[in-house]
Amino acid sequence: MSFRHLRAVIRKEINHILRDRATFFLVILAPLAMLFIFAYGLTVDIKHVPVAVLDYDHTSTSRSFIQRITEGKDLDLYAYVDTLDKINDLLTQDEIKAAVIIGADFERNLLALRGMPLQIVIDGTEPESGGFAVEQIGGRAEALINELLAARIAGEGQALSLQPIDLHVHALYNPALKPRVDMIPGLISMMLGFPALSVALTLAHEREHGTLEQILVTPVGRAEFLLGKMIPYMIVGLANVIVMPAIARATFHIPFNGSFLLFFLLSIVFLFAILSMGMLIGVFMPTQPAALALSFLIIFFPGFFMTGIFFPITSMPEMMRMEALTMPGTHYAIITRGVFLPGVGLDVLWPYAVMLIGLGIAFTAAAAFFFRKKLG
Amino acid sequence: MENTSPIIETHALTRDFRKTRAVDGLTLSIWPGELFGVVGPDGAGKTTTLRLLAGLLDITSGSAQVAGYDLARYPEAIKRRIGYMAQQFSLYSELSVMENLTFFAELYDVPTDELQERMEQLLAFAGLTEFKDRRAAQLSGGMQKKLALACTLIHQPEILLLDEPTTGVDPVSRREFWDILTDLNLRGSTIIVSTPYMDEADRCMRVGLMYEGRLVVCDTPQQIRAHIEGELIELRPQDWQAAHTLIAALPGVFEVQTYGELLHVLVDSADKRLPEIKIALEEHDLVCRDIRRATPRMEEAFISLIKRIKHLESETEGE
Repeated sequence: MSFRHLRAVIRKEINHILRDRATFFLVILAPLAMLFIFAYGLTVDIKHVPVAVLDYDHTSTSRSFIQRITEGKDLDLYAYVDTLDKINDLLTQDEIKAAVIIGADFERNLLALRGMPLQIVIDGTEPESGGFAVEQIGGRAEALINELLAARIAGEGQALSLQPIDLHVHALYNPALKPRVDMIPGLISMMLGFPALSVALTLAHEREHGTLEQILVTPVGRAEFLLGKMIPYMIVGLANVIVMPAIARATFHIPFNGSFLLFFLLSIVFLFAILSMGMLIGVFMPTQPAALALSFLIIFFPGFFMTGIFFPITSMPEMMRMEALTMPGTHYAIITRGVFLPGVGLDVLWPYAVMLIGLGIAFTAAAAFFFRKKLG
Repeated sequence: MENTSPIIETHALTRDFRKTRAVDGLTLSIWPGELFGVVGPDGAGKTTTLRLLAGLLDITSGSAQVAGYDLARYPEAIKRRIGYMAQQFSLYSELSVMENLTFFAELYDVPTDELQERMEQLLAFAGLTEFKDRRAAQLSGGMQKKLALACTLIHQPEILLLDEPTTGVDPVSRREFWDILTDLNLRGSTIIVSTPYMDEADRCMRVGLMYEGRLVVCDTPQQIRAHIEGELIELRPQDWQAAHTLIAALPGVFEVQTYGELLHVLVDSADKRLPEIKIALEEHDLVCRDIRRATPRMEEAFISLIKRIKHLESETEGE
């Protein structure tokens, strides 16, 4: 290993990153832009769902119930209607996402504690908003019944102030159960796929532009060349590792409870694994479009579905779980979430670090093995 | 030459690609200090030959020695002794002239204390001194070729392998480039250069003609010109297609070659056939302004040789 060769390749590659606009965008701006787009786009909190009400009861109880469900920011009262057809029209015209139908005996049944004649109609084409409406209305109906029961018990002279059902849910590390808090650390692991994509592209770029041919006739060693190309992207990746948690904290109020030093060191291990994977892609792909397509196929798409960012790995079929373990992103997503939220240390995360080192060594060995100093 | 052993020696060198045999049993010796030209039509195997000699491709069969090393076994040792310039521009376009030179100097382990002097010499030699801070992408085609040559010379190689270095370069730059090559050759470099231009082939000491992967002729330009049968008549008829058909059928005509609207006719005796051709053209009302005797060039020699090879092949296939 010649240090002079390595330094020459690194310097050349850094100049390429800084001077080639497409590369600069891809490695420096794209991860940050994507982090914002994904974080805002995929995790919008549902609010102000328009709801129509059909009240057959017309009592003070039914009116106070309607008042109860439409106060606050969650559900908005769009209109009172008097027929089922009207609800249908409003749903098909996309004016409302849900409708509440209050039965004629609402007050009587409720006060007699015989149940609650209530129907909720939702727009099944948008299950997110519909499900949210069901949850909200159901929750408030339950609260109303609890109050009535408590009042009844109190009215019968029994000195009980407790409510019949009193469940306290305490979500650890993410008390408000906001989706972003859980997803953004996962997204950070995906955004670091961009430096890996760039490594794949830069090797294919050299092959396409013939510069590889000129490199191959020099005495530069394979390891010197491949490492020299990887190290600049490692540096860029680490810059992202510093900037992205800062953005997560400042913009999305994601807590960072663990040790930053540990996070930084484990990020180096992850970048080693994912950049080696990019290098392996670049070794095999003859052109940049081919390298791009394969990178998306094996770095980004599995990142969505298999690394557990959006879907828990434990709910995957056995085969997919095995495959997920070969993806560096799977392990790193666990590391980022662990360090960000519960703030766990190496005592918990070491198996994932070991897996990443193993994958990195395997990918680098494969890249060095298949990269020959020959054309064709 | 004092040194009597060849600097490059190939024996039945063969390279197959998936379906084609790109180089077919090449046996060739090149002597130290030679300026050797490789010519032939597109797809003849020129690029593959040079890439094989540069150690860029695996050999299918046969053997080769380059600078005293076996090509299949010691390609890395050979790489330090050769300078190879690909046909396509293959430097880093976003790096400056100096940065490209420095990059290759470091990869070739040029000693640090010699680096500055060598680079300045090469820049002056290639006429690039005033452009040394310009990005390679912003150089003209001719300057890019000169920079590429400078990069292949930075480690002072014994052998230069140049693949069509002047293709796509304007005539003035082409001439300048060849003056540099001649200069290098006079200083003792062995140069193997492929070219599609016959005037360039004429400047080589020896020329090898490749056709369908085989080396069909290998000789000095003078000897190759002497291969031409007969004498040459050049004419510019108005209707060259009709004239071509007419003249090809006349007695004493070996061959008619077309160069755009110009016809080159190879005949047994120009003095005897020139008046006959004139009469034949007049009889058929074919107008022709210029008709004169000309000296055969490399170009006629090669076209004639390739025609003969094709003719031989079709005869053997017919048997």
